[in-house]
Amino acid sequence: MKKTLLAIALVILLATPALAGSGELFLYIWSEYIPDEVVENFTRETGIKVHLSTYDSNEAMYAKIKLAGKGYDLIVPSSDYVGLMKNENLLLPLDKAKLSNFANLAPQFINQPFDPENTYSLPYMWGSTSIAVNTGTLGTTAVNNIADLWKPEMDGRLLLPNDPREAFSLALKLLGYSLNETDPAHLEEAYLKLKELMPRVRVFDSDSPKQALLSGEVSVGVVWNGEAYIANEENPDIQYVYPPEGFSLWMDSLCIPKGAHNIEEAHTFLNYLLRPDVAAIISSEMGYSTPNAKALELIPEDVRANPIVYPADADIQRGEFQNYLGDATKLYDEYWVKLKTDN
Amino acid sequence: MRQLIKTTYAGLVYLFLYLPLVVMAVYSFNASKYSLSWKGFTLKWYGKLLTNTTLIDAAIRSLTIAVISATIACILGTLVAFMLHQYRFQGRRAIFGSLFIMMMSPDIVIGISLLVLFLATGLTLGFWTLLMGHVTLCVPFVAATVYSRFKGFDTHVIEAAKDLGASEYQVFHQIVLPMAMPGLIAGWLLSFTLSLDDVIISFFTTGPTYEVLPLRIYSMVRLGIKPDVNALSVVMIVITVAAVLLSRRLIKDKK
Repeated sequence: MKKTLLAIALVILLATPALAGSGELFLYIWSEYIPDEVVENFTRETGIKVHLSTYDSNEAMYAKIKLAGKGYDLIVPSSDYVGLMKNENLLLPLDKAKLSNFANLAPQFINQPFDPENTYSLPYMWGSTSIAVNTGTLGTTAVNNIADLWKPEMDGRLLLPNDPREAFSLALKLLGYSLNETDPAHLEEAYLKLKELMPRVRVFDSDSPKQALLSGEVSVGVVWNGEAYIANEENPDIQYVYPPEGFSLWMDSLCIPKGAHNIEEAHTFLNYLLRPDVAAIISSEMGYSTPNAKALELIPEDVRANPIVYPADADIQRGEFQNYLGDATKLYDEYWVKLKTDN
Repeated sequence: MRQLIKTTYAGLVYLFLYLPLVVMAVYSFNASKYSLSWKGFTLKWYGKLLTNTTLIDAAIRSLTIAVISATIACILGTLVAFMLHQYRFQGRRAIFGSLFIMMMSPDIVIGISLLVLFLATGLTLGFWTLLMGHVTLCVPFVAATVYSRFKGFDTHVIEAAKDLGASEYQVFHQIVLPMAMPGLIAGWLLSFTLSLDDVIISFFTTGPTYEVLPLRIYSMVRLGIKPDVNALSVVMIVITVAAVLLSRRLIKDKK
């Protein structure tokens, strides 16, 4: 009995959170999205202890920040959520004076429409959502642009993201509009286009579309480049296409939420992540693209030369970042429900 | 012939239940990183797991909370079940109903309502709030399993004990508890599993200082689940099976 009590007392002691505010940092991020060694080196250099907690989607993170509101010092929302959280006053402005390494960022990743001037957000990683095609089953000429997805031969062989914004991006780009379109007339056009595409779709999957591509269940999929990178490593026939009509870019940024206690430590960490050597480690470990221009020279050749990770500049020009669309989001969702239920 | 059908059927049921676990165990030794095709035998994921302290920490935290919340839920749940079985009082039906409502409620409703409650009372989210959340989740299940066990009781035994001068406490301790034991053990194991698996309630009720394993694994969607998670799952299954076997041995020895 005594032993049990002792064990319980120990557990209680271990579980009681230390008081925040001095030499600590609470980072809220996707699992495995930052290499352990980067965090350990930071603690070694600065003495600041980093606590990681994780979320599985932007929606979940947003709900937790909005409801709980405190306890987290840094979050990593995607671009549209930066826009949303900025509009709802859930973010604190960054102190640029403390970010001496800000200049290392490449110009094409700063001052984006979702956060002009980067008042609230720092780019962490970026990538694209585009078309992965199995040239083994379809041949090399079958899919070169978005319009090709509508071809009858794609019947039942296509995978789409389970996400209204990403699906609409295809139709909007095909029609020559912005993927942040809010005009109802244009959205209706896009909806009608997508309606024609529905018979081609076999799977909706945003979580692990590489599985369906690799197992041969689908021959062509609209996926994000991290998935395409893995699929291509396993099966070189799976190629990644940046269509001429344009495509969707994604970016995860670091932000300080309202209610953060350790603002000083957060800035120290942000500045550390902006260092070229650190950004290079992150990019090579994760196989994702860094927005840090100075880090590029330090990244291993095989990663930097891979167009799935680092597309050519001419291709990047055609990409567009998602912004938060306010009320228009409802329209997207309504059309999306219609698309998925009308068949 | 009938025997053959029976055996085949039972075999199929077991196959259906355990095949996924076997596949996962096999893949935890697969050299290929994305575990789609077999690329040779390796132990490197177990090595990786040893260095992945954040994952191991989360696993230890998960096991800790599961053991503590299952134990507390067992104590509370058994008391509730005994009360419902033994006494007739005002509001008994309401308590009954509320237990079933708790069992039927979607996790997300329980999670958000608990979070709102914790925030309203000004508690810091962390170990304690998570523990309360998991106990809340488990109590109805324990109460239901133990109550159904009481249902099969011969209540005359209790009456006889009272006639022979046993106090309420003695009745509970020496008659009710031993009889309820199988239900209690089942309730404990069920609670342990519920707590270990739970994602949604944990997400809402825990804070940045106490992150549990399911949340860690769930949040890997962005980059894909790595094979060291398979390795960790195999280790956890081995621990669980060993614990069950050991407890059975202990119970047998007692008898």
